[in-house]
Amino acid sequence: MFDPGKMIRAWRAIPRLSAVTGTLVAASAAIALLKISVWQVSPGDVLPHTQYSVRLTMRLDGNDDSVVVRSFLPASDVRQEIRDERVADASLSHAVVTEGLNRKMIWTGRHVQDGVLLSMSVDVMSRPIAYDIDPGLELPPSYPLSIARYLKPAPNIQVDSPEIEEELERIGADHGTILERLGAIHTRTSSLAARPFKGTTDALTALRLGEASCNGKSRLFVALARQAGIPARLVGGLVMKTGTTRTTHQWVECYVGGHWVPFDPTNGYFARLPGHYLELYTGDEVLFTHTRDINFEYQFWVSTELVPSSVTKGVFGSLNVWGVFERSGLPFSLLRTLLTLPVGALVVVLCRNVVGVPTWGTFLPALLAAAMAETGLFWGLLSWVAVIAVAGLLRSSLQDLNLLHAPLLAILLAFVAVTLMGVAVIADFIGNAQLSRATIFPIAVTAISAERFYMSISDDGMPGALKRLAGTAAVILACYLVMNSLAVQMLLVAFPEVLLVVVALELYLGRWVGIRLSEYFRFRGLLIKEAG
Amino acid sequence: MRRPQWLSQWRRMLHRRKEVVGINERNVELIYRHNDRRHFPIADDKLVAKQVLSELGVPVPRLLGVAHGLHEVNGLLERIEDEEHFVIKPAQSSGGQGLMVVGEQVERGVWLKAGGGDVTLAEIRQHVANIVFGAFSKDRPDRAYVEERIRAHPVHARLWHDGLSDLRIITLNQVPLMAMLRVPTAASGGVANLHQGGIGLAIDIESGRTIRASFRGRPIDRHPDSGAPLIGVQQPEWERVIDTARRASQVPLAYLGTDIVVDQSGRTLVLELNARPGLEIQNVNGRGLGTYVEEVLR
Repeated sequence: MFDPGKMIRAWRAIPRLSAVTGTLVAASAAIALLKISVWQVSPGDVLPHTQYSVRLTMRLDGNDDSVVVRSFLPASDVRQEIRDERVADASLSHAVVTEGLNRKMIWTGRHVQDGVLLSMSVDVMSRPIAYDIDPGLELPPSYPLSIARYLKPAPNIQVDSPEIEEELERIGADHGTILERLGAIHTRTSSLAARPFKGTTDALTALRLGEASCNGKSRLFVALARQAGIPARLVGGLVMKTGTTRTTHQWVECYVGGHWVPFDPTNGYFARLPGHYLELYTGDEVLFTHTRDINFEYQFWVSTELVPSSVTKGVFGSLNVWGVFERSGLPFSLLRTLLTLPVGALVVVLCRNVVGVPTWGTFLPALLAAAMAETGLFWGLLSWVAVIAVAGLLRSSLQDLNLLHAPLLAILLAFVAVTLMGVAVIADFIGNAQLSRATIFPIAVTAISAERFYMSISDDGMPGALKRLAGTAAVILACYLVMNSLAVQMLLVAFPEVLLVVVALELYLGRWVGIRLSEYFRFRGLLIKEAG
Repeated sequence: MRRPQWLSQWRRMLHRRKEVVGINERNVELIYRHNDRRHFPIADDKLVAKQVLSELGVPVPRLLGVAHGLHEVNGLLERIEDEEHFVIKPAQSSGGQGLMVVGEQVERGVWLKAGGGDVTLAEIRQHVANIVFGAFSKDRPDRAYVEERIRAHPVHARLWHDGLSDLRIITLNQVPLMAMLRVPTAASGGVANLHQGGIGLAIDIESGRTIRASFRGRPIDRHPDSGAPLIGVQQPEWERVIDTARRASQVPLAYLGTDIVVDQSGRTLVLELNARPGLEIQNVNGRGLGTYVEEVLR
């Protein structure tokens, strides 16, 4: 029999908190499932992409006469997407020209001063690519004229040399299918010993020495492939790794079944390339050509940032959050910070109530960890500790004046500001770009830390205050690791509804009455020792 | 086969874990559940506590005067001009901050201070003004009050002569759960708080005898400065102490820590109430509160 009273009683018997917690988790799972099943959002699609920012900086000394510098600009293709090309230069004029398949940037100037800096930067979204070569594919009887030129010898690619011919025969690449020939050539060239030689190595030299750097291996690959009847060309570019580098890279493309298929004998990629390769030019070219005697130097600076995929933008579009961010010109990193902050707060709650680490405030460590995403953990913590040390010193010198609270804190704020400026000056002096970002530390958060430390010295004494400082630093570290973890960020950007689970966990922790880890130590006498 | 030792230790720990009350459990199960926030002022403000306790007929130190604001500072000073042996306290400080213990008057307007030195009327005025201004209550305006100075009972004075030993009794629903005596040391500077270097002595509630003593987390059996034995000391007026604690626990704070002193003439006086009593009493007693809590709530 249906008995409404009984049902209401049964409903009431469920503790309210469990009901709310359960609802939140269920809602979160339901939204995620809906997205996956109805909107066909596969987790792979919504994951943010790594976007590389590549900046090329060149330095040169002037010349009484005119100065010309040429380099290549990357172009978008099926594997890489180039956007936001920016050129900054004060004293030289520049122009972009197309030369064959390549885009060339030419800077020119007259009566240029010494130490001129030229820079240009691009944002790159690239993805790995792999080709399946049909194992039965034979060499075609002929190639179109535009392709056939990639079979001819070149000054550093001695296709018609008898030694290349003999080698091709020896490794068995002179017969068989395209796949068999390329396999043998790839195996041969990638087995050459590595050679940290910066200059140009031609194909024959690489073969004779049995060792080569990337350009020698690639030229030998091209020479053998052309001799085997497969059109091949060199490709030059950059292997993008965060940080600064002067090392560029060369690899190979072969014309197979109507496509230019990549091979990298140096790093062992056969018919595929990973996502962090940036192609700058094709052909046996030199990356930089310039007027003589200008003391030319260059450097690449690569940084990465996660950006949402277009699918994610669509998901946010339905709530219009992403749209608003884009229209207002707010950076993606801000959205990321907003999404990860609640998770950071959860980490603080775990550290405080489950581990038992003493900290200042609940949000402070999470906010500081978010700020340190800009500076990096090491420099961020260092400048934070510097500000706190200033607060400590200030206290010892102002203590006897018995100042009222508000004016005292105002003085503290002034010193925090000066300290941050000092950090910027030191950062510039030692040439640390990351440290200089400490100045954009949210000054409120930094000042509050200084205030808490200052007050903590009066309330808990110096040892207590230092203990709390160490505890706060440890929790900042934990927050930083979680909030800056790629997995957590991708999960939150793709499935922001996970925040409901975070709230559910916090509800649970709000009623959790277990013993904190630190209390196992505090009450060890009661918990561990023999009775008596 | 013999079971490894760590396994039995681990099992014992898991079992005893239920007996020990941690901060989370104290806050959720004892304080939030039994102590309504709106009644916290009874414990957090010593003047409110004094009034509520007097109405319940619980003995408290005699109040000599109160300054509710700067305009009452001079009135308070007029009232104590001729007094000797009194204590000046902020109503809302914690951990004994802002306490000034004054002894006999050596000349008009000059008194001896506990712990050496003397203090003038002008200095007392400055101190009272600081209290009222909030110097000891995180900048919130406070009230200053003056009460009689308590002389320690000889049993307690024999343990250590400087400062005042007090008894902390924890009650839940008016049932005493645990008790300890806190004794000052040379290091604690006349204050008996455990984290400031006082000694904690566990007291058997039935008999009123001390059964354990711990100093800075280590068990001891003699006072580190005076050498007085600390174990097996019968507490004076014990039945009256327990009765006082029971009566004080009639305030609407079901989970309560009551601080009681026994004075020279055997009076049991409540100094302070605490709505969030600390958990160190468990280490002092060598037992967790959990079992007792369960018994009371059953």
